[in-house]
Amino acid sequence: MATTTATITLSSADLLTNVLDFSSTATLTGANNSTGLTHAVGLSRKKLASGHAQYTLFDGDQYANGSHKVYLKNTSTTASEHFTIEINSEQMGKLYAGDWAFFPWEANADTNDIKIDPSADDMVLEYMLFIDE
Amino acid sequence: MATTTAAVTLTSDLLSDNMSVSATTTCMKAGTTADGLDQMEYGYVDVATGDEFDLIATTPTASKASKLYLKNHSTDETYYIAVTQNAQAIGRLYGGDWMFIPADFHDAAGDIAITANGGTNKICYALFHEGTALLQT
Repeated sequence: MATTTATITLSSADLLTNVLDFSSTATLTGANNSTGLTHAVGLSRKKLASGHAQYTLFDGDQYANGSHKVYLKNTSTTASEHFTIEINSEQMGKLYAGDWAFFPWEANADTNDIKIDPSADDMVLEYMLFIDE
Repeated sequence: MATTTAAVTLTSDLLSDNMSVSATTTCMKAGTTADGLDQMEYGYVDVATGDEFDLIATTPTASKASKLYLKNHSTDETYYIAVTQNAQAIGRLYGGDWMFIPADFHDAAGDIAITANGGTNKICYALFHEGTALLQT
């Protein structure tokens, strides 16, 4: 069985009066079981064409309902440039320059597409999908 | 300014070569590299099966650069919370899983809610933000 882990570390020396430093590691497994995810798309890098309004990153119709995991990173270094992330047209949030996101994706309906909308031309997104099959 | 960093490392042996992907970001206010997110909320709660809760009891200022960390501390692999935003499913966070997303709470309906399944789920969350509006009683 494949073993895929995701580790996050959140730290700050000055947000609180005490140092904030915690870390968490998850082993990526299928829904309702402990079998490691065995399929993936990416790591990929996508430069959005000039003038591109919105891009369907993952099509809900192409994946079964499951415990998929999505990784996104905005590689821009221009602070104001962001990708707006949408699931089934619901706006999740804006991924600003240098930011990354990691979240479960259920794909429980054909319409549950993950779409990204760049705020400027020629922005580059890195992404990966771990698939629960 | 406050400096808060969020780092992720993904490792796997599912490919023919080992994979390791790392990224680090400093959590900044929207559209700037000069000022970091300077406020946070943190909680650890038990969520009973079947109940749906708005995760954040206050309303972060819309269209800002809030960051939400959420972890399911349940140890049973069949336990999960369904995470939704404005009633739209994002995904299921199973026991041991975590997520980290930008959450811009674009309007009053943009709440992030969780519903526990399988049993009482133990949930840890942290919201890094740049201002909230307290809900009126």
